[in-house]
Amino acid sequence: MADAEVALLVNYLVVGAALVALGAVGFVIRRNLILMFLCAEMMLQGVSLSLAAWGRYYNDFGGQILVLFIIAVAACEAAIALALVLVLFRRRGSLDVMAWQELREAELPPVVDREIPEMPAEPPPAWPSLPPAGRTPCVPREETEFRPHV
Amino acid sequence: MRPLELVLLPGGVALGAVGVWMMLPGAPAERRAPGILLAVAGAALVAAGLPGLGDPLTSALFFVLCGVTLLGAAGTLAFRSPVYAALSFGLSLLGTAGLLFLQGTQFLGVATVVVYAGAILVTFLFVLMLAEPRGRATYDRVGFGPGMAVLCGALLVATLIPTLASMGRKPEGLLRPPPPADARRQGVLASQHVKQLGNELFGRHLVAIQGAGVLLLAALVGAAVLVGQGRTRLPAPRAGQPAQSPGPNQPRPSQGSDIHG
Repeated sequence: MADAEVALLVNYLVVGAALVALGAVGFVIRRNLILMFLCAEMMLQGVSLSLAAWGRYYNDFGGQILVLFIIAVAACEAAIALALVLVLFRRRGSLDVMAWQELREAELPPVVDREIPEMPAEPPPAWPSLPPAGRTPCVPREETEFRPHV
Repeated sequence: MRPLELVLLPGGVALGAVGVWMMLPGAPAERRAPGILLAVAGAALVAAGLPGLGDPLTSALFFVLCGVTLLGAAGTLAFRSPVYAALSFGLSLLGTAGLLFLQGTQFLGVATVVVYAGAILVTFLFVLMLAEPRGRATYDRVGFGPGMAVLCGALLVATLIPTLASMGRKPEGLLRPPPPADARRQGVLASQHVKQLGNELFGRHLVAIQGAGVLLLAALVGAAVLVGQGRTRLPAPRAGQPAQSPGPNQPRPSQGSDIHG
């Protein structure tokens, strides 16, 4: 029984460590503000798994209670983060974190995007061909954008 | 067993890291499929090196849930389209909730699904829809220093996991002995354990839970103030333009002087 409990603890700690590492890597790599916050939440998930596993191993409710507090703090963080992201998005019109790189330290060189090939344009919407009759229908602009196929 | 683990665990982590690196947004498209294969192979190697949970059914369930969690997490890093990335994070959350259920902490599993997947993720998706939902923006298609970041993450995990595995093999000097199984069956694993959790939460931690309530209220007020400020600080419309703020789908061109105004 004791060995099974140790094995369970180790397995959960490994998953938690992997989640924390993936979240940290994602926080550095992704440049979308919202995805950066999602990666931070992913790190919190990893910590939660570890805490719950420790709580089970030592038969202590403290781990679960700490996870509940993590959830509460994550909810606060999400509210504040979304408000901040909305304000930033209104100012720059973009969720790119590099749109704010003038806030960096004075001696650091600016980050310049390397040239990447343009994504191929989406195919134009495939409307059915009908014999012309009546007046020309006026298609709303968003329909032509969001419905690539009929 | 030990030399095998020495190969399996760091080797699996290295394979998985290379796979994740090949999946990242900056990488060319033809690298993605082999990257996914490599990442899955690395996770399988690590899983083979871990002790497992004894009971084969529980072990299989655990590893399936782990796969869902980690695949969702890797997808959050890898998808170009931010909406897909957020949905993939939701999948990872569901996997985490499943892991919590499997461990016997039902209340936390339900709270994760309701609070994270139900509230936070939907709010994030709502804001994502404002911007560029289809992943055509440049900043969604390039990573920021992917090689170095993946290397650091892999080093972190590659040092942590063998340490944890060795702790699992010889827990004597490192872990306090766990309480007897009977105590656990009447404590954390009791069928009435949510009741005990509530007693603990509103007994020993009453002040802390009130503090958390105050924190939530403060965050709510702060979010409202922040968003309201952003609205009133928009510059006044120039003559000849309609006096309405631009909609969310027509972003204003960036203006450097906006920071200070």
